[in-house]
Amino acid sequence: MEQLLPIGIFLFVLFLLLGSGVWVGLALMGVAYVGMELFTTRPAGDAMITKIWTSTSSWTLTALPLFIWMGEILYRTRLSQDMFRGLSPWMAKLPGGLVHTNIVGCTIFAAVSGSSAATLTTVGKMSIPELRKRDYPETLVIGTLAGAATLGLMIPPSLTLIVYGVTINESITKLFMAGVFPGLVLALMFMTYVAIRSKLSGDYNPKPEPPMSFGERVKNSRFLLPVICLILVVIGSMYLGYATATEAAAFGVIGGLVLAASQGSLTFSTFTESLMGAVRTSAMIALILAGAAFLSLSMGFTGIPRGLANLIGSLELSRFELLMALLVFYIILGCFLDGISSVVLTMAVVEPMIREAGIDIIWFGIFIVVVVEMAQITPPIGFNLFVLQGMTNHEMNFIARAAIPMFLIMVVMVFVLIAFPELATWLPDNIRQRSG
Amino acid sequence: MVALRALRRLLDALYLTGGIIAAFFLMAILTIIVLQMLARWTGNVFPGATDYAGYCMAAASFFAFAYALNHGAHIRVSLLLSALGKRRWWGEMWCFAMGSIISTYFAWYGVRGTYWSWKLKEISQGLDATPIWIPQLAMSIGTILLAIAFWDNFARLAFAGHHNIEAEGLKSSVEDV
Repeated sequence: MEQLLPIGIFLFVLFLLLGSGVWVGLALMGVAYVGMELFTTRPAGDAMITKIWTSTSSWTLTALPLFIWMGEILYRTRLSQDMFRGLSPWMAKLPGGLVHTNIVGCTIFAAVSGSSAATLTTVGKMSIPELRKRDYPETLVIGTLAGAATLGLMIPPSLTLIVYGVTINESITKLFMAGVFPGLVLALMFMTYVAIRSKLSGDYNPKPEPPMSFGERVKNSRFLLPVICLILVVIGSMYLGYATATEAAAFGVIGGLVLAASQGSLTFSTFTESLMGAVRTSAMIALILAGAAFLSLSMGFTGIPRGLANLIGSLELSRFELLMALLVFYIILGCFLDGISSVVLTMAVVEPMIREAGIDIIWFGIFIVVVVEMAQITPPIGFNLFVLQGMTNHEMNFIARAAIPMFLIMVVMVFVLIAFPELATWLPDNIRQRSG
Repeated sequence: MVALRALRRLLDALYLTGGIIAAFFLMAILTIIVLQMLARWTGNVFPGATDYAGYCMAAASFFAFAYALNHGAHIRVSLLLSALGKRRWWGEMWCFAMGSIISTYFAWYGVRGTYWSWKLKEISQGLDATPIWIPQLAMSIGTILLAIAFWDNFARLAFAGHHNIEAEGLKSSVEDV
């Protein structure tokens, strides 16, 4: 790397713009512009607009606003109330009791929403007050909620995985399928932790639930069943090859609307709110993607990705060592950036490295999602922590400490993924592809 | 003062209109995809459906940029800004100055790109064979709107001491990812 000075300037501008609080999408554009001016004589602006137009007008990307919309619709139904009422009778018998409704509830909502904060609020709105009423230990209630809500990013539909897929040009359906088992395993690990903790700690004696007959339980969860059917349709249609990710998202939106209408929670105002909410969130992501598209073009001219890939190659790191290095890198990055920004910012550099090292790119998508999920529950800017702070009025410190066990479980999950890569690769390898 | 207030109302209406147009394009994406599926099931083809959906995607994004900005949806790293405490105004001034410059640059080339597509009569490579400048109009208008929104907020911050953006982050928790 003989061009150390320009690379230094480029990185300095990157940190300056991002760190000083310039909106992520525009900051990436600014950095990319500087990179183009430093490293190539090509006219920066015209190259930028061609690249941005191609990336923003892409068919693959259309899954994004639709999945966001689906989540927004269901977020405004009575799902929140039904979730607790429907799940609690089934969870009462498990060791650890109703804390499991947090985890299972998050898993279910994660399957209709790609956002972790939406998952958190939907489930927490009901479960926090209900669990408090029954004297469950507060740290466990808060901690499991913070941890399990991150499943929203892993279990399909996942916005982070869509962005990852679009950035590296891989099939979104495959990525979604890859997230299913790791998501479920992570949920199981959270539940195991709750069970063990409830057995070990002496102060774990919540008020018992009144016994309920099977029929009553079914009756209580009757509102939950349509949602579960919707999830099965959306994920199943992708798995069986009946629908692309975008088409499955369209099913999801229509199903969500029908469900909301049948519950009587579909009014003109909830419809427009959900629509405008989806418009805002998808515009936010689109701006980041636009900036990232220009940045990856510019990054190519800087030679940084190739240089780093060569460097890594010459170090002869084993795959495991490389993954450990990336794990630490993303955890640190996640302290300052949200998941989607971390992914788009780094993929231009990390992708060649990964391909060079022969790591499965679909598998790596799940790896990166688990790692950026951790960032959601670590200070200083773990988003789930902020949301929980708003919902519970606890000190940030208290919430962050309650979430530490979940963070550790997710670290374990990373190693489970490394030890059993089939968790993520088996399902996508076995999707039925639609011909044509 | 009256003129200023009228201008304020006009600008706010402009951003909201952008958001509403974007919402219609989002519904258009849904419609196109449903039609395409119906066509497939009935053994027909909907030529260029994926291209049209792509154009709607671009339009839904570009038209909403300014609207999303004023609703605090665009994310940023606010760690340093909060650390500035009382001097936060200076930090915000820097951010809005940079935002205004970059978004103006974006808008300039957004318009230029569309102009050249029109001038060179560029046609889409897909099955739809649309003259590419038509969908690109959304890019021109959207990026101009975003630049206006940034200068608007920059001016407000400089002269009135506060910007137009609703508290970001916590207000509507669905907006993170």
